[in-house]
Amino acid sequence: MRPFEYSNPATLDALLGAIGPQARPLAGGTDLLTLIKADLATPERLVNVKALLPRGIEAKPEGLEIGALTTLAEIEEHPVVRDGYAALAQAVSLAASPQIRNLATVGGNLLQRPRCWYFRNARIDCWLKGGEECPARDGQNRNHAILRGGPCYAVHPSDIVPALMAFDAAVRVVGPDGERWIELEDFMQPPTEERRTETVLAPDELVTAVRLPPHPEPTRSLYRKAMDRKIWAFALAGVACALRLSGRKIAHARIVLSGVAPVPIRAEAAERELLGREPSADRFAAAAGAALQDARPLRHNGYKVPLTQALVRQALTTLTE
Amino acid sequence: MTTRLEGPDKVTGKAVYSSDVRLPGQLYAKVLRSPHPHAKVMRIDTSRAEALAGVRAGVSALNGPDITWHDDTRLLDTTVRYVGDEVAAVAADSEEIAQDALRLIEVEYLPLAFDVVHGKAADTKVQERGNVLAGLREADVTVEETYTTGTALHNALESHGCTAAWEGDELTLYESTQGIFAVRDEVAEKLGLPKDKVRVITPHMGGGFGAKQIAWKHSVIAALLAKRAGRPVQLMLDRTEENLASGNRNATRQHVRLGARRDGTLTAIDARIEFQSGAYKVGGEDSDLTGTYMTLYRCENVRAEQTSMKVNAGASVAFRGPGYVEANFALESAMDELARRLGIDPIELRLRNYAVRDQSEDKPYTSPQSLRRCIERVADVFDWRRKRKGIGFAAHDWLAGGGWPPATVEVTLRDGRAEVLVGVQDIGTGPRTALAQIAAAELGLPVEAVDVHLGDTKPGLYGPTSAGSTTLATIGPALAEAARKAKKSGHGRAERGDNPQDKAIRTCGAQCAEVEVDLETGEVTVLRVVAAHDCGRIINPLLVESQVIGGVTQGVGFALSEERVMDERLGESLNANLEEYKVPTARDIPEIVNATESMPDLEANALGTKGIGEPPIIPTAAAIANAIFDATGVRIRDLPITRDKILTALNHETVRILESSHA
Repeated sequence: MRPFEYSNPATLDALLGAIGPQARPLAGGTDLLTLIKADLATPERLVNVKALLPRGIEAKPEGLEIGALTTLAEIEEHPVVRDGYAALAQAVSLAASPQIRNLATVGGNLLQRPRCWYFRNARIDCWLKGGEECPARDGQNRNHAILRGGPCYAVHPSDIVPALMAFDAAVRVVGPDGERWIELEDFMQPPTEERRTETVLAPDELVTAVRLPPHPEPTRSLYRKAMDRKIWAFALAGVACALRLSGRKIAHARIVLSGVAPVPIRAEAAERELLGREPSADRFAAAAGAALQDARPLRHNGYKVPLTQALVRQALTTLTE
Repeated sequence: MTTRLEGPDKVTGKAVYSSDVRLPGQLYAKVLRSPHPHAKVMRIDTSRAEALAGVRAGVSALNGPDITWHDDTRLLDTTVRYVGDEVAAVAADSEEIAQDALRLIEVEYLPLAFDVVHGKAADTKVQERGNVLAGLREADVTVEETYTTGTALHNALESHGCTAAWEGDELTLYESTQGIFAVRDEVAEKLGLPKDKVRVITPHMGGGFGAKQIAWKHSVIAALLAKRAGRPVQLMLDRTEENLASGNRNATRQHVRLGARRDGTLTAIDARIEFQSGAYKVGGEDSDLTGTYMTLYRCENVRAEQTSMKVNAGASVAFRGPGYVEANFALESAMDELARRLGIDPIELRLRNYAVRDQSEDKPYTSPQSLRRCIERVADVFDWRRKRKGIGFAAHDWLAGGGWPPATVEVTLRDGRAEVLVGVQDIGTGPRTALAQIAAAELGLPVEAVDVHLGDTKPGLYGPTSAGSTTLATIGPALAEAARKAKKSGHGRAERGDNPQDKAIRTCGAQCAEVEVDLETGEVTVLRVVAAHDCGRIINPLLVESQVIGGVTQGVGFALSEERVMDERLGESLNANLEEYKVPTARDIPEIVNATESMPDLEANALGTKGIGEPPIIPTAAAIANAIFDATGVRIRDLPITRDKILTALNHETVRILESSHA
């Protein structure tokens, strides 16, 4: 770890003035500190946001608002989340370890960097770190992207983001130009030549809250995740699914895939296979097929196609049992 | 039941481990390691590092003493042979300063060609009896398959490391080691000191699993830095170094042929084995893959040939049941395949073929029927006959477990208490407790009245390295004798005698596993493992159960999730951490039933006890792999058995087409 300064602004304005490419906001630190220790991030200054950003979950007319500093553990234990947003509570339970969930914040979860083993090794040059090429593309890529891959094939590590996306979450962003709400689906974007990060957040902006719009009951939801061991591992593939029936027909469906693309992605083709139809094994198989229709696996990750399809089928089956 | 005597010290934090040592003026050292898999060191400039405030000493490939290390290289060599090879080291007032100083060392490398996958054949060992080709011709049924196992890392909770302190020309090392005398002798030799000028102290240690049975470079580096700085130096490896540069269980490729008559009688066993030995041969117990093939089953025609391959990666070193774990997976998978082809129950096939004598040494075993007892016991407790999907079996043997003389023990009675002095160490397996029980039983004292002093070379009572599951069987009988003498005269001293000459000692055992596999997602859930092993007389049932639970747990990791991943183009390990190198969590571990029975082996030694440290890991992977076949109908011959392999096997055509379409 290289030396850095630490600053503790007194107001939100001072905080916004203080952050930038070399002055990074510090909340739970569960990702940023690991990046610094691995020499992958070398900020000159860390700026404490813990005293200034909102923390806690509030039911508002516009929906459930989760302050950026709310810890994963607080989300997991919140009765409204457990009752009305099961996929989110399940995703949190399957993320990281209890110790990390006690510190990690929802804001930080959105902004965490990939766990790709090429990206995380400071000795290895990679496109995401500003290099020319992605070494995973023709390397050890069993954990990597099968959808929307290239130039970066790392997958986004979050379990929380896909669950939030399944509830059409929006993100409140504050920056020099004031405050705006962005749909989470638009906030999460695969890296581009100019912006080698996984979100559209600028270095001088902060995430201050996440909002889940109210959903008419009864919407059932679920998060499933395949790992290399039972717990404490990032997803090889995952699916967040929210479903509402009207009579015997599916009136609303959200299917969001994790662990298979540079950012969690909505499988809209799969959703279309379900809308207006009655639940059945054949329907679910068609949806699972549609979810992966654009899959382009690499040499070592073709297994993710049958795996993700199975997770989608199993999630839909469980939700309609 | 007697619980661990040192337990309270461990759970209260009173027990001192190597990283807990704090001496006056102590410095902290860090090692600069090669970022190249193979390169020549052309230039090292340490001037900026040395100028950093708080840096007290340094040593590098270009200014270090001329100390020969393995394979006739140097302690800090001017050729580096894997990513992680030692290049230089500094000692500073804090670990952070030492780390900062490493970044200030400028090294110019000339990269050389490297190979982390195939490697160069280093040496070949052949064991043979009878004629394998004739045996295969005699066979009614054969199996011929290739099995592979991945590189597994020990990842003991406590990393390698030591604190080195000089007093005049005498060196004391507080070392995390399985062999205080092995480290003493080797460090003394490297530094050109008489052995009695080096003292090694290991009161407690947090796991070694074989990787701490030799002296590693860090001990000598710490001693050199401490000498140069004139202050004690602590050098503990971090988790990355632990994964790169402190040993591993070598990856293997085993081509196996078995032949049998229709009644199951084995007519031939043939194995051609390649294993990766890493960049250096570091010593310690050899990884002998031939042993299992030569001795587990009764067979007249056997050939096992193993070739070690040098690659530009961290050196392999003994890892709990070295060689036997890897070979057992292949042989016991092949036996399962043979049983299915013959239409004979897998356990019945073993009962028809297990060996009662050591066919390599041509001697009878001291306990010829203990393997049968273990097999029958495990089948009974597991309820093998109750047919259900997803069950697997494996038997094993292990060459060691008897005594490893010489060793000397002293017992002194004083004020109603007994002092036991031995030259072994407690590597976490609990010899303090077991030895106290042996002495207490002989002396008629409560176990609390016995103080066992171990883990220090100073008294000069030699004890062997804790390796080969030999500590209890070595020290136990001598201790019983010394205690008997002390009972008469107040003081007793005894030497461990030789093992019997006319018979061979082995340990052995059997395990059954039950698994559930989700055929859609490839998820494996191990539901239950039942284990029965021959460890002779059981001195402490709780300690035996601890070893069974620990061994099976490590075996589950080896079977299902643990593997070092290398990028062969870069020569880099990609998962030198506990995030991506996946040891099993508590949730991955099934119910483990220890069905081990006490079966005193009085021909092995007077106490009838044998070791249990290594055996429980040996058959676990094969039992699980066989259970996975039983559950899925697909045979995975490549460890670890991860979801990608299961799903690829179950969806072979689809996955292959998908993966090849991209290339």
